[in-house]
Amino acid sequence: MTSVAASLDVVVSPRRRAEGLVRLLRRPAAAVSFVVVSALVFGSVAAPLVAPYPKNQFDVNHLFGPPTLAHPFGTDELGRDLLTRVLYGGRTSLEIAALATALAMAVGAVWGFTAAFHRGWLDELLMRIADLTLGMPVILLGLVLVAAFGSSTKSIILILGILFTPATARLARSSLLAELETDYYLAAVSVGAPPWRIILKELLPNTTPVLLARASIVAADAIFVEASLSFVGLGVQPPAASWGTLLERGYSVLYSSYWYPIFPGIVILVAVLALNTLGDNLQRVLDPARR
Amino acid sequence: MTQTAPNPAADGPVLEVRDLAVEFPSHRGTVTPVRGVSFTLARRQRLGIVGESGAGKSLTALALMRLLPFPGRVVGGEVRLGGRDLMRLSEREMAAVRGGRMALVYQDPMSSLNPVHSVGRQIVEAIRAHEDVSRRVARARAVELLGDVGLSSPARRFESYPHQFSGGMRQRVMIAMAISAGPDVLIADEPTTALDVTTQARIIDVLSRLVDERDMAVLLITHDLGLAASFCEDVHVMYAGRIVEQSPAEPLFARPVHPYTEALLNAICRLDHDVDRPIAAIPGQPPLPQHLPDGCPFHPRCPHAIAVCSREVPDLHVLADGRTAECHLAEARAVAAA
Amino acid sequence: MGSYVLKRVAVSIALLIISSILIFCLMRVIPGDPTITKVAGASGNAASVRALRAVRHELGLDQSLPAQYVHWVGGILRGDFGESYYSQFPVTKLISQRIGATLELAVLSLIIGVLMAVPAAVISAIWRNRAFDALLSAFTAIGMATPAFVTGIVLIVVFGVKLNLLPTQGYVSITHHPIESLKTAVLPSITLAIAIAAPLLRILDASLDDVASAPYIRTAAGKGLLRRQVVMRHLLPNATIPALTMLGVIIGSLLGGTVIVEYVFARPGLGTLVVDSVFKRDYAVLQTLVLLAAATFILSSLAIDLLYGVIDPRLRVRGSEAAR
Repeated sequence: MTSVAASLDVVVSPRRRAEGLVRLLRRPAAAVSFVVVSALVFGSVAAPLVAPYPKNQFDVNHLFGPPTLAHPFGTDELGRDLLTRVLYGGRTSLEIAALATALAMAVGAVWGFTAAFHRGWLDELLMRIADLTLGMPVILLGLVLVAAFGSSTKSIILILGILFTPATARLARSSLLAELETDYYLAAVSVGAPPWRIILKELLPNTTPVLLARASIVAADAIFVEASLSFVGLGVQPPAASWGTLLERGYSVLYSSYWYPIFPGIVILVAVLALNTLGDNLQRVLDPARR
Repeated sequence: MTQTAPNPAADGPVLEVRDLAVEFPSHRGTVTPVRGVSFTLARRQRLGIVGESGAGKSLTALALMRLLPFPGRVVGGEVRLGGRDLMRLSEREMAAVRGGRMALVYQDPMSSLNPVHSVGRQIVEAIRAHEDVSRRVARARAVELLGDVGLSSPARRFESYPHQFSGGMRQRVMIAMAISAGPDVLIADEPTTALDVTTQARIIDVLSRLVDERDMAVLLITHDLGLAASFCEDVHVMYAGRIVEQSPAEPLFARPVHPYTEALLNAICRLDHDVDRPIAAIPGQPPLPQHLPDGCPFHPRCPHAIAVCSREVPDLHVLADGRTAECHLAEARAVAAA
Repeated sequence: MGSYVLKRVAVSIALLIISSILIFCLMRVIPGDPTITKVAGASGNAASVRALRAVRHELGLDQSLPAQYVHWVGGILRGDFGESYYSQFPVTKLISQRIGATLELAVLSLIIGVLMAVPAAVISAIWRNRAFDALLSAFTAIGMATPAFVTGIVLIVVFGVKLNLLPTQGYVSITHHPIESLKTAVLPSITLAIAIAAPLLRILDASLDDVASAPYIRTAAGKGLLRRQVVMRHLLPNATIPALTMLGVIIGSLLGGTVIVEYVFARPGLGTLVVDSVFKRDYAVLQTLVLLAAATFILSSLAIDLLYGVIDPRLRVRGSEAAR
């Protein structure tokens, strides 16, 4: 065993991770979006500490108040500070997005890797199933799934996970296929290294970065779709609040208090844009061909 | 392979290039792959430019046509075609020159033709870009050209698409397209490199015949010394962005002056050499344009280098018989070789 | 060419069939029973078992799954898409009432979106101005990151609330009153057009970039063609080929986008019908609408594939004649 282990270490595959991160942060767009995403995550996670007002404090004297210094985003129908609501709403939206992305990545990776390893008829079958949803509008599929599974925070996470799994599966499959063609993989196999070692030391480290880059974009899409579903009332249900539900509330008072929906809308825009930019730059850094 | 004796026509050279320089700016610094190239091309002359890859030969050709890829640009010198400096022309005027007075045949016939247009249509387009003729007339001329370059059933080939042709056939089409408007100068940039040896010979035959028939001057760019020797009357050797030796073909190959030329010739494997004899490759690598050595750019690899070679860039030395070389030892070597 | 067409048509038909099965199954394995909503909704309290059974029988839900599927498909082929569980209206009638609003929106958005993206891409290719290109990149990035309802809300606020220039909701049929109809359609169409133009512009730019570095573009310039001619005759035609694939995705986005945009602008079209039927768990309507969406998508993909066959000679004529 030791001799095999030793010889496996001799067969070195390029590690793309560490240098990638440094190169990434050199690009201005990537650095900015990284900061923005971090700020958003921090703001949401630390909402109890960062928010200007307690979560449920309402003020009946200031219903639907416009933006002022005391309430930069205005107040809602119960006099609650909207900035606080947005921060707490972010917890829901980001949590949903994170879990849905994790689900899509995990299932998609297993799906794609299985197809790539097996080749043959299983590959064909799995990929045909994945292709079925390609191109069909995500919102429409999402709505259908909501009709099937109902709308609650848990079901939304499941639905979003399902929606994004096929594309991830495709990516996982193609990246694994590329790895299986490389010389160092063939070398590792011919040296007689056991499969689990190859997977752990060669295949996973080289496919993970690509998938992680994609995860950022999937997260952006998840926020996008969750907001859309919540906006039409079919996503997160009260009393839980997400950016989408805030928008939905704001939409109903659009004519009188137009600032209400605008701020959550801008926050959604910024979050999606930042995650997209981050993911895009990550992909470019990892794949020299795309530069 | 016959060589036509050069005919220095009374009307002077058709193409005069003086101190042509090309640079590529980037945020990492500017690179100058062509650093002052000068030569002249007379009517019906066959001039060859030889050198290793990276010497700047193709970029010179593209610069002459003002087809440099972004962000490259010409930063010095003049290019006089029939007396007019091409670098001063407007884009519109230059478009009229391209194909009309000077044409370029490229190295890669496989992807140099538009895949969704028929071959005939692309030739007709070339013709009508320079002459106001009806489509019917242009089509007839195109068919005739396709026959001229040696394609069988030219009328049928007219309708065909590039993907239906082999590499050699596509190169014939490229040549037909290039000569269609009757240019005075034909630049052929490695026209046969992408083709196999038998096809190479045939394409060169076609080229040779056409050039004679149509009174064109040819600038042949190649790294194939044998090709240059058989096709060209005069040969210029290019290294690190400059022309380091200019000479008629026969003396160049028989008695090279510049050490680089000599090294190139020595590196050729000949059939009558002993099979155990090691290949006399030139040690080292050609320098990258951004890392040129001080003094003579060839000195690190030159077996005859002396002290001054690493300090001073050699001037252009004109030798007794009219040949030139950029080498501190030019005269000495010319005398020794004679 | 003939075999190519046949193959594509056959695949499309197969896809349609598979989609219908999938949609059908998805609607049926749902936890949650439309009958309960219906009966409970009518009487307001828990329904008796017998009432439920009666309703089930009426809706044909007590038959086996395959039997229900055959019944459904049989109906479709006869043009009968069943009736809404909720309102008993024939689904076809519901759809025909609302399809006008959606079609008008879709067509207008497509036209405006293409008119926004294509000229911008062409100008970018001919002009090659760094500032302009940067502006376009910013537009694309922001356009793709902004959900349609955010754009919609912004437009409503600016043009409806503040400037009070255009109507922000409702719908007037184009046959009734063309001007009014267009007025109600302007804001929603622009919203949706932006959502389509952004990805379309991105793919066009990428495609143009790709083609621009191809050797035959240099050959075209080398022949003496002017910049404009090179772009129009060589760059654009070759760049649209890969962009055509994107058109399929664009149509998909259109289908999804109309749902949200119609909702935001309170436009009574098929999109709002979808949302309504999800709320009411009205599966009869929902499955028909989704099938309709799938069919639209499959057919437009087919049309694009056939278009490919016409445009790209490499698909039409095989390279069998290569000879020395």
